[in-house]
Amino acid sequence: MAKKVLTVDDDPDVRLFTTTVLEENGYMPVEAGNGEEGLQMIQSEKPDLIILDVLMPRQSGIRLYRELRTNKSLAKVKVIILSGIAKKTFLRSQQALTEFGETAVPEPDFYLEKPVDADVLAETIKKAIG
Amino acid sequence: MKIKKLMFVTKFEDLGFDAIQALLSMRKASLEHIVFMNVIEREKVAMQRGVGYKKDEAVRMKEAANIRFIDWAERLFEQGMEVGVYIQVGTLAAEVTKAVQKEEADLVVIGRTHKTALEQFYSGSTVTEMIRRVSVPVLVYKPVSDSPFATGQPFERPLLATDWSPASLRGIDYLVNLKGLIEEVEVVHVADQKDIEGTSAMHAQKTRKDTKSRLEELCRRFQDAGIAARSHVYVGDPEEEIEKAARESQATLVVLGSSSKNLWMERWIGSTPRAIAEKSAFPTLLIPPAQK
Repeated sequence: MAKKVLTVDDDPDVRLFTTTVLEENGYMPVEAGNGEEGLQMIQSEKPDLIILDVLMPRQSGIRLYRELRTNKSLAKVKVIILSGIAKKTFLRSQQALTEFGETAVPEPDFYLEKPVDADVLAETIKKAIG
Repeated sequence: MKIKKLMFVTKFEDLGFDAIQALLSMRKASLEHIVFMNVIEREKVAMQRGVGYKKDEAVRMKEAANIRFIDWAERLFEQGMEVGVYIQVGTLAAEVTKAVQKEEADLVVIGRTHKTALEQFYSGSTVTEMIRRVSVPVLVYKPVSDSPFATGQPFERPLLATDWSPASLRGIDYLVNLKGLIEEVEVVHVADQKDIEGTSAMHAQKTRKDTKSRLEELCRRFQDAGIAARSHVYVGDPEEEIEKAARESQATLVVLGSSSKNLWMERWIGSTPRAIAEKSAFPTLLIPPAQK
Protein backbone atom coordinates (compact mmCIF):
# COMPACT_ATOMS: atom_id res chain seq x y z
CA MET A 1 0.00 0.00 0.00
CA ALA A 2 1.33 3.46 -0.96
CA LYS A 3 2.66 5.61 1.87
CA LYS A 4 0.56 8.65 2.66
CA VAL A 5 2.13 12.14 2.56
CA LEU A 6 0.35 15.27 3.77
CA THR A 7 1.32 18.68 2.33
CA VAL A 8 0.38 21.63 4.55
CA ASP A 9 0.78 24.84 2.53
CA ASP A 10 -1.51 27.80 1.84
CA ASP A 11 -0.21 28.20 -1.72
CA PRO A 12 -2.23 26.01 -4.13
CA ASP A 13 0.64 26.10 -6.66
CA VAL A 14 2.99 24.53 -4.10
CA ARG A 15 0.38 21.90 -3.20
CA LEU A 16 -0.01 21.08 -6.90
CA PHE A 17 3.77 20.79 -7.24
CA THR A 18 4.22 18.47 -4.26
CA THR A 19 1.17 16.40 -5.19
CA THR A 20 2.60 15.85 -8.68
CA VAL A 21 6.01 14.86 -7.30
CA LEU A 22 4.38 12.49 -4.82
CA GLU A 23 2.12 10.81 -7.37
CA GLU A 24 4.97 10.40 -9.84
CA ASN A 25 6.98 8.64 -7.14
CA GLY A 26 4.23 6.29 -6.01
CA TYR A 27 3.07 8.02 -2.83
CA MET A 28 -0.49 8.91 -1.84
CA PRO A 29 -0.81 12.71 -1.48
CA VAL A 30 -3.25 14.51 0.81
CA GLU A 31 -3.31 18.26 1.39
CA ALA A 32 -4.28 21.04 3.81
CA GLY A 33 -4.30 24.83 3.33
CA ASN A 34 -3.20 26.01 6.79
CA GLY A 35 -1.81 24.82 10.10
CA GLU A 36 -5.15 24.28 11.82
CA GLU A 37 -6.57 22.28 8.94
CA GLY A 38 -3.24 20.45 8.79
CA LEU A 39 -3.50 19.31 12.41
CA GLN A 40 -7.01 17.97 11.82
CA MET A 41 -5.81 16.09 8.73
CA ILE A 42 -2.83 14.67 10.60
CA GLN A 43 -5.19 13.25 13.22
CA SER A 44 -7.71 11.90 10.72
CA GLU A 45 -5.40 10.75 7.88
CA LYS A 46 -2.43 9.59 9.96
CA PRO A 47 0.16 10.36 7.23
CA ASP A 48 3.60 8.73 7.13
CA LEU A 49 5.22 12.06 6.27
CA ILE A 50 4.28 15.75 6.46
CA ILE A 51 5.61 18.38 4.08
CA LEU A 52 5.11 21.56 6.06
CA ASP A 53 5.22 25.25 5.07
CA VAL A 54 6.02 27.85 7.74
CA LEU A 55 4.27 31.13 6.82
CA MET A 56 0.53 30.38 6.62
CA PRO A 57 -2.80 31.85 7.73
CA ARG A 58 -4.46 30.82 11.00
CA GLN A 59 -1.50 28.87 12.37
CA SER A 60 2.11 28.93 11.22
CA GLY A 61 4.25 25.87 10.55
CA ILE A 62 6.38 26.86 13.54
CA ARG A 63 3.41 26.38 15.87
CA LEU A 64 2.17 23.24 14.12
CA TYR A 65 5.64 21.67 14.22
CA ARG A 66 5.75 22.43 17.96
CA GLU A 67 2.35 20.78 18.47
CA LEU A 68 3.50 17.69 16.59
CA ARG A 69 6.70 17.30 18.51
CA THR A 70 5.09 17.82 21.91
CA ASN A 71 2.21 15.41 21.22
CA LYS A 72 3.24 11.87 22.17
CA SER A 73 1.10 10.20 19.52
CA LEU A 74 2.40 12.44 16.72
CA ALA A 75 5.99 13.07 17.81
CA LYS A 76 7.39 10.26 15.61
CA VAL A 77 5.78 11.42 12.32
CA LYS A 78 8.52 12.46 9.89
CA VAL A 79 8.47 16.11 8.81
CA ILE A 80 10.05 17.95 5.89
CA ILE A 81 9.84 21.71 6.30
CA LEU A 82 9.46 23.30 2.85
CA SER A 83 9.43 27.07 3.18
CA GLY A 84 10.62 30.47 1.97
CA ILE A 85 11.59 31.13 5.59
CA ALA A 86 15.28 30.39 6.20
CA LYS A 87 16.19 27.36 8.33
CA LYS A 88 18.19 29.52 10.77
CA THR A 89 15.07 31.67 11.34
CA PHE A 90 12.99 28.55 12.03
CA LEU A 91 15.55 27.32 14.56
CA ARG A 92 15.92 30.75 16.21
CA SER A 93 12.17 31.06 16.53
CA GLN A 94 11.90 27.66 18.21
CA GLN A 95 14.72 28.68 20.51
CA ALA A 96 12.94 31.98 21.34
CA LEU A 97 9.75 30.10 22.23
CA THR A 98 11.73 27.74 24.44
CA GLU A 99 13.29 30.77 26.15
CA PHE A 100 9.76 32.08 26.79
CA GLY A 101 9.11 28.90 28.78
CA GLU A 102 7.70 26.53 26.17
CA THR A 103 8.95 22.95 25.84
CA ALA A 104 12.15 22.51 23.82
CA VAL A 105 11.60 20.60 20.55
CA PRO A 106 14.13 18.81 18.32
CA GLU A 107 15.19 20.14 14.93
CA PRO A 108 13.06 19.03 11.97
CA ASP A 109 14.18 15.86 10.18
CA PHE A 110 14.65 17.70 6.88
CA TYR A 111 14.55 21.37 5.87
CA LEU A 112 14.22 22.56 2.28
CA GLU A 113 14.10 26.24 1.34
CA LYS A 114 11.80 27.24 -1.53
CA PRO A 115 12.12 27.07 -4.45
CA VAL A 116 13.08 23.40 -4.57
CA ASP A 117 13.73 21.09 -7.54
CA ALA A 118 11.35 18.16 -8.02
CA ASP A 119 14.33 15.77 -7.93
CA VAL A 120 15.59 17.16 -4.63
CA LEU A 121 12.12 16.92 -3.09
CA ALA A 122 11.62 13.35 -4.33
CA GLU A 123 15.03 12.32 -3.00
CA THR A 124 14.32 13.92 0.40
CA ILE A 125 10.95 12.15 0.64
CA LYS A 126 12.67 8.86 -0.17
CA LYS A 127 15.27 9.47 2.54
CA ALA A 128 12.51 10.24 5.02
CA ILE A 129 10.14 7.33 4.46
CA GLY A 130 11.67 5.16 1.79
CA MET B 1 -10.89 43.05 24.81
CA LYS B 2 -7.29 41.90 24.91
CA ILE B 3 -5.22 42.37 21.77
CA LYS B 4 -3.66 38.98 21.11
CA LYS B 5 -3.76 39.05 17.34
CA LEU B 6 -3.46 42.08 15.09
CA MET B 7 -3.96 42.30 11.36
CA PHE B 8 -1.46 44.62 9.69
CA VAL B 9 -2.88 45.81 6.38
CA THR B 10 -0.29 47.45 4.18
CA LYS B 11 0.24 48.74 0.67
CA PHE B 12 3.93 49.09 1.66
CA GLU B 13 4.15 52.79 0.78
CA ASP B 14 1.83 53.64 3.70
CA LEU B 15 3.01 51.24 6.40
CA GLY B 16 6.37 49.57 6.82
CA PHE B 17 8.34 47.51 9.29
CA ASP B 18 9.04 50.59 11.44
CA ALA B 19 5.33 50.65 12.30
CA ILE B 20 5.44 46.99 13.32
CA GLN B 21 8.43 47.67 15.55
CA ALA B 22 6.47 50.44 17.29
CA LEU B 23 3.50 48.12 17.75
CA LEU B 24 5.65 45.34 19.18
CA SER B 25 5.54 47.17 22.51
CA MET B 26 2.04 45.65 22.72
CA ARG B 27 3.68 42.33 23.54
CA LYS B 28 3.93 43.66 27.10
CA ALA B 29 0.13 43.63 27.13
CA SER B 30 -0.88 40.44 25.33
CA LEU B 31 0.08 40.62 21.64
CA GLU B 32 1.40 37.29 20.34
CA HIS B 33 0.34 37.02 16.69
CA ILE B 34 0.68 39.43 13.73
CA VAL B 35 -1.04 38.72 10.43
CA PHE B 36 0.26 40.64 7.41
CA MET B 37 -2.17 41.49 4.66
CA ASN B 38 -1.69 43.03 1.23
CA VAL B 39 -4.63 43.52 -1.10
CA ILE B 40 -3.86 44.00 -4.78
CA GLU B 41 -6.65 46.23 -6.00
CA ARG B 42 -8.69 44.44 -8.59
CA GLU B 43 -8.59 47.30 -11.08
CA LYS B 44 -4.80 46.99 -11.30
CA VAL B 45 -5.05 43.50 -12.81
CA ALA B 46 -8.68 43.37 -13.94
CA MET B 47 -9.99 42.29 -17.31
CA GLN B 48 -9.53 45.09 -19.84
CA ARG B 49 -10.54 45.30 -23.47
CA GLY B 50 -7.67 44.10 -25.66
CA VAL B 51 -5.54 43.06 -22.68
CA GLY B 52 -7.64 40.59 -20.71
CA TYR B 53 -6.92 39.56 -17.12
CA LYS B 54 -3.34 40.53 -16.38
CA LYS B 55 -2.41 37.25 -14.72
CA ASP B 56 1.34 37.80 -15.06
CA GLU B 57 1.01 41.20 -13.41
CA ALA B 58 -1.03 39.71 -10.56
CA VAL B 59 1.59 36.98 -10.02
CA ARG B 60 4.41 39.55 -10.11
CA MET B 61 2.66 41.78 -7.55
CA LYS B 62 1.85 38.82 -5.28
CA GLU B 63 5.46 37.62 -5.37
CA ALA B 64 6.79 41.13 -4.66
CA ALA B 65 4.50 41.36 -1.62
CA ASN B 66 5.46 37.85 -0.51
CA ILE B 67 9.17 38.69 -0.60
CA ARG B 68 8.58 41.72 1.67
CA PHE B 69 6.42 39.72 4.05
CA ILE B 70 8.93 36.84 4.29
CA ASP B 71 11.60 39.33 5.33
CA TRP B 72 9.31 40.88 7.98
CA ALA B 73 8.09 37.49 9.15
CA GLU B 74 11.65 36.21 9.64
CA ARG B 75 12.40 39.11 11.96
CA LEU B 76 9.24 38.49 14.00
CA PHE B 77 9.57 34.70 14.11
CA GLU B 78 13.07 35.12 15.52
CA GLN B 79 11.54 37.08 18.41
CA GLY B 80 9.12 34.24 19.15
CA MET B 81 6.09 35.94 17.56
CA GLU B 82 3.48 33.99 15.62
CA VAL B 83 3.06 35.35 12.07
CA GLY B 84 0.61 34.81 9.22
CA VAL B 85 0.20 36.25 5.73
CA TYR B 86 -2.63 37.05 3.32
CA ILE B 87 -2.03 38.37 -0.20
CA GLN B 88 -5.31 38.76 -2.06
CA VAL B 89 -6.61 40.32 -5.26
CA GLY B 90 -9.88 42.17 -4.62
CA THR B 91 -11.45 45.11 -2.85
CA LEU B 92 -9.55 46.25 0.21
CA ALA B 93 -12.41 46.60 2.71
CA ALA B 94 -14.09 43.34 1.61
CA GLU B 95 -10.88 41.29 1.70
CA VAL B 96 -9.82 42.71 5.07
CA THR B 97 -13.25 41.95 6.53
CA LYS B 98 -13.07 38.34 5.35
CA ALA B 99 -9.57 37.87 6.71
CA VAL B 100 -10.41 39.48 10.08
CA GLN B 101 -13.29 37.05 10.50
CA LYS B 102 -11.22 34.07 9.43
CA GLU B 103 -8.33 34.96 11.71
CA GLU B 104 -10.49 36.27 14.57
CA ALA B 105 -8.15 39.26 14.82
CA ASP B 106 -8.54 41.69 17.74
CA LEU B 107 -7.23 44.81 16.01
CA VAL B 108 -6.76 46.01 12.44
CA VAL B 109 -3.87 48.37 11.67
CA ILE B 110 -3.99 50.38 8.47
CA GLY B 111 -2.07 53.33 7.05
CA ARG B 112 -3.57 56.68 6.23
CA THR B 113 -5.18 56.90 2.81
CA HIS B 114 -4.11 59.72 0.54
CA LYS B 115 -7.26 60.08 -1.50
CA THR B 116 -8.57 63.56 -2.26
CA ALA B 117 -11.95 64.61 -0.85
CA LEU B 118 -13.59 64.10 -4.24
CA GLU B 119 -12.16 60.61 -4.69
CA GLN B 120 -13.33 59.75 -1.19
CA PHE B 121 -16.84 60.89 -1.95
CA TYR B 122 -17.12 58.73 -5.01
CA SER B 123 -15.22 55.67 -3.92
CA GLY B 124 -15.96 55.71 -0.21
CA SER B 125 -13.04 56.20 2.12
CA THR B 126 -11.04 53.13 3.01
CA VAL B 127 -11.26 53.93 6.70
CA THR B 128 -15.02 54.42 6.61
CA GLU B 129 -15.59 51.23 4.67
CA MET B 130 -13.32 49.29 6.97
CA ILE B 131 -14.94 50.61 10.14
CA ARG B 132 -18.38 49.88 8.80
CA ARG B 133 -17.51 46.31 7.92
CA VAL B 134 -15.18 45.05 10.64
CA SER B 135 -16.33 44.51 14.20
CA VAL B 136 -12.94 45.12 15.80
CA PRO B 137 -11.08 48.37 16.53
CA VAL B 138 -9.08 49.93 13.70
CA LEU B 139 -5.81 51.73 14.32
CA VAL B 140 -4.98 54.25 11.59
CA TYR B 141 -1.25 54.42 11.96
CA LYS B 142 0.65 57.58 10.95
CA PRO B 143 4.34 57.60 10.11
CA VAL B 144 6.53 58.71 13.00
CA SER B 145 7.67 61.76 11.02
CA ASP B 146 4.02 62.98 10.78
CA SER B 147 3.25 62.72 14.48
CA PRO B 148 4.39 65.74 16.47
CA PHE B 149 5.02 63.84 19.67
CA ALA B 150 5.94 60.47 18.29
CA THR B 151 7.95 58.42 20.74
CA GLY B 152 7.77 55.18 18.83
CA GLN B 153 5.31 53.99 21.51
CA PRO B 154 1.82 54.90 20.28
CA PHE B 155 0.08 53.75 23.46
CA GLU B 156 2.29 55.75 25.82
CA ARG B 157 0.02 58.82 26.13
CA PRO B 158 -3.36 58.15 24.52
CA LEU B 159 -6.04 60.80 24.38
CA LEU B 160 -9.54 59.36 24.72
CA ALA B 161 -12.07 61.72 23.16
CA THR B 162 -15.55 60.90 24.37
CA ASP B 163 -18.92 62.10 23.17
CA TRP B 164 -20.49 59.79 25.81
CA SER B 165 -21.40 57.34 23.05
CA PRO B 166 -21.22 53.61 23.97
CA ALA B 167 -18.41 53.13 21.45
CA SER B 168 -16.26 55.88 22.96
CA LEU B 169 -16.88 54.48 26.45
CA ARG B 170 -15.78 51.04 25.22
CA GLY B 171 -12.45 52.76 24.59
CA ILE B 172 -11.91 52.73 28.36
CA ASP B 173 -12.09 48.93 28.57
CA TYR B 174 -9.81 48.71 25.59
CA LEU B 175 -7.15 50.99 27.05
CA VAL B 176 -7.34 49.38 30.50
CA ASN B 177 -6.16 46.15 28.87
CA LEU B 178 -3.07 47.97 27.64
CA LYS B 179 -2.15 49.07 31.14
CA GLY B 180 1.52 48.15 31.01
CA LEU B 181 2.06 50.39 27.99
CA ILE B 182 0.32 53.54 29.15
CA GLU B 183 1.98 56.37 31.06
CA GLU B 184 -1.10 58.57 31.31
CA VAL B 185 -4.50 58.88 29.59
CA GLU B 186 -5.99 62.26 28.72
CA VAL B 187 -9.80 62.08 28.74
CA VAL B 188 -11.40 64.83 26.67
CA HIS B 189 -14.92 65.97 25.86
CA VAL B 190 -15.62 68.72 23.33
CA ALA B 191 -18.74 70.63 24.35
CA ASP B 192 -20.93 72.12 21.69
CA GLN B 193 -20.57 75.90 21.30
CA LYS B 194 -24.40 76.09 21.32
CA ASP B 195 -24.47 74.77 24.89
CA ILE B 196 -22.84 77.94 26.22
CA GLU B 197 -23.85 80.57 23.65
CA GLY B 198 -26.20 83.36 24.76
CA THR B 199 -26.23 82.23 28.36
CA SER B 200 -24.69 83.76 31.45
CA ALA B 201 -21.13 83.14 32.51
CA MET B 202 -22.52 81.17 35.43
CA HIS B 203 -24.40 78.83 33.09
CA ALA B 204 -21.31 78.29 30.96
CA GLN B 205 -19.28 77.50 34.07
CA LYS B 206 -21.97 75.07 35.23
CA THR B 207 -21.84 73.29 31.86
CA ARG B 208 -18.08 73.04 32.21
CA LYS B 209 -18.31 71.79 35.79
CA ASP B 210 -20.94 69.14 34.96
CA THR B 211 -18.89 67.91 32.01
CA LYS B 212 -15.72 67.86 34.06
CA SER B 213 -17.48 65.87 36.73
CA ARG B 214 -18.60 63.23 34.20
CA LEU B 215 -15.06 63.08 32.83
CA GLU B 216 -13.66 62.63 36.32
CA GLU B 217 -15.84 59.54 36.70
CA LEU B 218 -14.23 58.10 33.59
CA CYS B 219 -10.78 59.03 34.90
CA ARG B 220 -11.54 57.13 38.08
CA ARG B 221 -12.10 53.97 36.03
CA PHE B 222 -8.56 54.32 34.71
CA GLN B 223 -7.17 55.18 38.14
CA ASP B 224 -8.89 52.17 39.68
CA ALA B 225 -7.05 50.05 37.12
CA GLY B 226 -3.75 51.70 38.09
CA ILE B 227 -3.50 54.06 35.10
CA ALA B 228 -2.96 57.80 35.60
CA ALA B 229 -5.68 59.86 33.91
CA ARG B 230 -6.51 63.55 33.54
CA SER B 231 -9.71 65.20 32.28
CA HIS B 232 -10.10 68.17 29.94
CA VAL B 233 -13.10 70.08 28.60
CA TYR B 234 -12.88 71.85 25.26
CA VAL B 235 -15.53 73.85 23.43
CA GLY B 236 -16.09 74.18 19.68
CA ASP B 237 -15.69 72.09 16.57
CA PRO B 238 -14.84 68.52 17.69
CA GLU B 239 -12.44 67.83 14.83
CA GLU B 240 -10.37 70.97 15.49
CA GLU B 241 -10.57 70.80 19.27
CA ILE B 242 -9.56 67.14 19.55
CA GLU B 243 -6.51 67.86 17.41
CA LYS B 244 -5.74 70.87 19.61
CA ALA B 245 -6.20 68.80 22.78
CA ALA B 246 -3.88 66.11 21.42
CA ARG B 247 -1.18 68.68 20.71
CA GLU B 248 -1.55 70.43 24.05
CA SER B 249 -1.33 67.20 26.00
CA GLN B 250 1.46 65.86 23.79
CA ALA B 251 -0.61 62.77 23.05
CA THR B 252 0.84 59.85 21.12
CA LEU B 253 -2.54 58.48 20.02
CA VAL B 254 -6.14 59.67 19.67
CA VAL B 255 -8.84 57.15 20.66
CA LEU B 256 -12.40 57.65 19.43
CA GLY B 257 -15.63 55.70 19.30
CA SER B 258 -16.61 55.16 15.69
CA SER B 259 -19.92 56.49 14.48
CA SER B 260 -22.85 54.25 13.69
CA LYS B 261 -24.21 56.65 11.06
CA ASN B 262 -25.11 55.03 7.79
CA LEU B 263 -22.77 55.36 4.84
CA TRP B 264 -24.78 57.95 2.90
CA MET B 265 -25.27 60.13 5.93
CA GLU B 266 -21.53 60.02 6.60
CA ARG B 267 -20.79 60.97 3.03
CA TRP B 268 -23.08 63.99 3.13
CA ILE B 269 -22.59 65.40 6.60
CA GLY B 270 -19.25 63.90 7.46
CA SER B 271 -18.04 62.05 10.53
CA THR B 272 -15.70 63.34 13.21
CA PRO B 273 -13.93 60.00 13.83
CA ARG B 274 -13.41 59.47 10.11
CA ALA B 275 -12.16 63.02 9.57
CA ILE B 276 -9.71 62.74 12.48
CA ALA B 277 -8.53 59.31 11.38
CA GLU B 278 -7.75 60.62 7.93
CA LYS B 279 -6.55 64.16 8.60
CA SER B 280 -5.05 64.18 12.08
CA ALA B 281 -1.29 64.08 12.51
CA PHE B 282 -1.80 61.59 15.33
CA PRO B 283 -2.27 57.83 15.06
CA THR B 284 -5.98 57.21 15.62
CA LEU B 285 -7.66 54.23 17.23
CA LEU B 286 -11.32 53.86 16.26
CA ILE B 287 -13.46 51.73 18.54
CA PRO B 288 -16.63 50.31 16.97
CA PRO B 289 -19.95 50.09 18.77
CA ALA B 290 -20.62 46.74 20.49
CA GLN B 291 -22.03 44.12 18.13
CA LYS B 292 -25.76 43.56 18.51
